[in-house]
Amino acid sequence: MNFAVIRRRWRRIRLEGGRSRLTPANWSTVIMLVLLAAIFVLHIACIIILLTATIDNAWWIFTAGNMPTDIWARWIFVNNSWHSVDFPQTYPQSYLQAVQASSVLACIFSIIGIFVFVAQLFTLAKGQRFLISGVFQFFACLCIMIAASIYTDQFHTDEKSLGSYGHCFILAWIAFALTFLSSVIYFVLRKKTAE
Amino acid sequence: MLTFLALTSVALLGIVPEQSQAIVIYTGWERHALVGSDIRLSCSFFSWRWTSEDVTFSWTYRPDGSRDAISIFHYTGGAAYVDNKGPFRDRLEFVGNPGRRDGSILLKNLELSDNGTFTCDAKNPPDIVGRPSSVRLLVFEKVPIQAGVITGAIIGVVLGLLVLIVVIYYLMRFLVARRVFSLSVSKHGKKKKEGSQQRQGPVPPADPSKIKV
Repeated sequence: MNFAVIRRRWRRIRLEGGRSRLTPANWSTVIMLVLLAAIFVLHIACIIILLTATIDNAWWIFTAGNMPTDIWARWIFVNNSWHSVDFPQTYPQSYLQAVQASSVLACIFSIIGIFVFVAQLFTLAKGQRFLISGVFQFFACLCIMIAASIYTDQFHTDEKSLGSYGHCFILAWIAFALTFLSSVIYFVLRKKTAE
Repeated sequence: MLTFLALTSVALLGIVPEQSQAIVIYTGWERHALVGSDIRLSCSFFSWRWTSEDVTFSWTYRPDGSRDAISIFHYTGGAAYVDNKGPFRDRLEFVGNPGRRDGSILLKNLELSDNGTFTCDAKNPPDIVGRPSSVRLLVFEKVPIQAGVITGAIIGVVLGLLVLIVVIYYLMRFLVARRVFSLSVSKHGKKKKEGSQQRQGPVPPADPSKIKV
């Protein structure tokens, strides 16, 4: 992005009089900036959703006692305060750790992706695509999909009447959709300078 | 001045042990073992006093779910007395070295009923004020996977592969630019090779090949 050109454009718009005139020549700059901001905000939203889904322990909520659980600890409300307890031995240990690992990896890939996107914004030649940022977002999408799928298939399968899926589970699947959308946008987007 | 310092340090050395006479006992926190195996429960202590000859070690055992603790081992007066009536008869052995402040015991041929808490209490007269320390024994039929091992392994391997790929990519690019390999990856490969003698390229001026030409 040629920021010098954009700056000159905006200065020209301001100097043109009391009301800024958005001519067709300036229109493309505005659209590009809005698009850039939207893509950036989408990526940040993906990161926030992924972090919430990973860190907050509420993939499943038992209705008895309103007890949220998974994927790091279980919370019980005893004596007017919350306490974290370990999982029962019946939890499949290896699958639990696989879910933990893939959700953490999804967060890591997405966070690295935002920095790579900003770097590519300044270093990419004109007309090229944001491939590496797209690849990082795609890996984040893959990892959170793995985590959510394993969780859906292996956990609480015979406890469906005892509780319901919590907000972290829903956020994980939303993060899958958003990261996929984000990676597709990066694969399709071409870098243009402001003409 | 120097004598004053020496005298104060000697006085402090004399005062400090008087005040902090508590003995500190160290055991493990939790031990895992398989059924039928042997396990060594370690116990040692820290004391400001020299190890006296009247040092005593005693181990007590409280099974899981029970409130009473029974005494299973006692070392005093230079002799070790092991359990000969309780749940550990013929399975307990003293493998410690009291002179080196080690009061460890060896439990042989573990059973599932040996799950419980083992408490070690050591006394080093005149240093007798201290808190006994406990170690929890968990006996399994199959050793479970420790929490976090698989998680850490997956994350480490994936990130390691990522770093490796990036390093290899940049290494290959560096080596191709230095003309160590003559790699023609594009369809302009032949033209590139022909023109390589005259091209400046990203090569430092002190390149020996250029000097030869």
